Amino acid sequence: MKKRVTVVDVVILFFLLSFAFLTLYPFLFTLSGSLNEGLDYEYGGVGLLPRKFTLDNYSVVFSDSRLYRAFFNTVLVTAGGVFLSLLLTTCVAYAMANKHLKGKKFFWVFNIITMFFSGGMIPSYMLILALGLFDSFLVYILPAGYSVYNMIILSNFFRSIDGSIRESAVIDGANEFRIWISLYIPLSKPALATVGLWIAVSRWNSYLPTLLYTSKTENMWLLQYYLMRVIQEVTVPDIDGAVVSQRTISFAAMIVAVVPIVAVYPFISKFFTKGIMLGSLKG
Amino acid sequence: MSETPNNKMIKREKWNKTHVQLMVMASVSVVFLFVFAYIPMMGVMLAFKDADKAINIFKSLFLSQWTLDNFATLFSDDTFWRVFENTLYINVLLLIFTFPTPIIFALLMNEVKSLRIKKGIQTVVNFPHLISWVIFGGIILTITDPKMNVIHPILEFLRISTKENPINLNLAQYFYPKLIIATIIKSTGWGSIIYMAAIYGIDPSLYEAAVIDGAGRWSRMWRITLPLIKPTIIIFLLLNISNLLNNSFEQFYVFQTTQNLDTTRVLATYIYTQGFRYRNYSTATALSLFEGIISVILLLSGNFFSKKITGEGIF
Repeated sequence: MKKRVTVVDVVILFFLLSFAFLTLYPFLFTLSGSLNEGLDYEYGGVGLLPRKFTLDNYSVVFSDSRLYRAFFNTVLVTAGGVFLSLLLTTCVAYAMANKHLKGKKFFWVFNIITMFFSGGMIPSYMLILALGLFDSFLVYILPAGYSVYNMIILSNFFRSIDGSIRESAVIDGANEFRIWISLYIPLSKPALATVGLWIAVSRWNSYLPTLLYTSKTENMWLLQYYLMRVIQEVTVPDIDGAVVSQRTISFAAMIVAVVPIVAVYPFISKFFTKGIMLGSLKG
Repeated sequence: MSETPNNKMIKREKWNKTHVQLMVMASVSVVFLFVFAYIPMMGVMLAFKDADKAINIFKSLFLSQWTLDNFATLFSDDTFWRVFENTLYINVLLLIFTFPTPIIFALLMNEVKSLRIKKGIQTVVNFPHLISWVIFGGIILTITDPKMNVIHPILEFLRISTKENPINLNLAQYFYPKLIIATIIKSTGWGSIIYMAAIYGIDPSLYEAAVIDGAGRWSRMWRITLPLIKPTIIIFLLLNISNLLNNSFEQFYVFQTTQNLDTTRVLATYIYTQGFRYRNYSTATALSLFEGIISVILLLSGNFFSKKITGEGIF
């Protein structure tokens, strides 16, 4: 079949490209603002290119010790969170995908109920207090250490793995824990990459735990909380010769927080799409 | 979503090491969810106790009298109804505007023939989903600031604003369009993935047959694509409807200022203010419970009507 390009094709493409530009615009705008002199920026009218180029905003941001602390905390929380969450979630997903599991119905119902009901903010806060997790670093990792939604997706994936692989491992004398760790986990790298990245992004962007479960001392700040603070801050740090404004500084801080995501995004975007398709099989 | 194993066969099987091991693995979820989901669910008891401004919430939870006062005060409070109205209003608006956009976007993407352009567009439009509302909202606040003169030239061109008297988009009445447009930009790409996956799964021979029968682009979309992705659309519509009172906290919190609080307050942020700012623990819990009950009712009734009308549903 010969492909003819019609007017409709051109219109559709134009529309889609415009939308793509619209989604990119806020970030390019921020980047350009972060590279512009602060006082000049406040006159307005700076679009996608800086008018008076400077790196001062970044030097102010990078001289802020709170940034380093928040960045370090967030890296730690993201790494720890992904590790724990994948460990617990694949463990349950493996069992749920296995036809020899007894009481599967009970486990499904027990899991799925939590997707529709929750105690809400205050009871969760009380639980955190009762467990002694308040103001502890574990509060960032433990409560979100298992996700029913991700479990469903991973167990769908595990179910698609050929069962005869498991049978032959059983004959070789491997127990279920072994099969899970040294067979199923290596076999499901694409699915684990997808789910792991979802978890990583949600941890990287998490804001509420700092607000609700800590007394907000600076050593407990995560990146998003730091950013909210910088965005809302009125006073501009006084540094000799730096022509900055609160707005351009917060832009620079935002860019610093987004860079890690931008750096990995091109490599992971195909996994992301695949992952949702995995989930949609269940529909 | 549940499995239907062959019950008889499993009953006959004797317990062996495999069963114990699998049971242990699956029980990880039971232990975890019992602690982090079910115990807080039991905590909704607090909604029926008097713990507002309590110094020791636990003491109030276990020792104070059962009461319905929290709901009585809540339902007689004008602010609560205002917040409830806001929540419902903004979410219905969001549903109307942001639910169809990913579907339309996926349908349009389906018309793009070049795989490379398609992938390029997708990479760009999926990106904002990965950025937090704290950052995205912060950017939107600057873009819409009249002082920044970014969006205002366009608005002047459209005769919505003038140079002499620029409109202040930070005013409360512009909050809804601002939020809707920001949400469309942030989530259309990501939301469309699921529909693109569904379209991708359609048997290409259907389209070929339609082309032979002389069906144009439009009728192929109406007669083949849309009917075949209908189940996906309905499931997502139902999930969206059940979330009609649920909002991401940050999405609203980042836009809130004292001037626009009246329109930007939704249940999610109101619960936070009541619980953490004013330490009205019982009131906040009552609000959560109210929200939860409405959500379940919405999900179940949506599911019921959907099954009646279209034959599709989640359960």
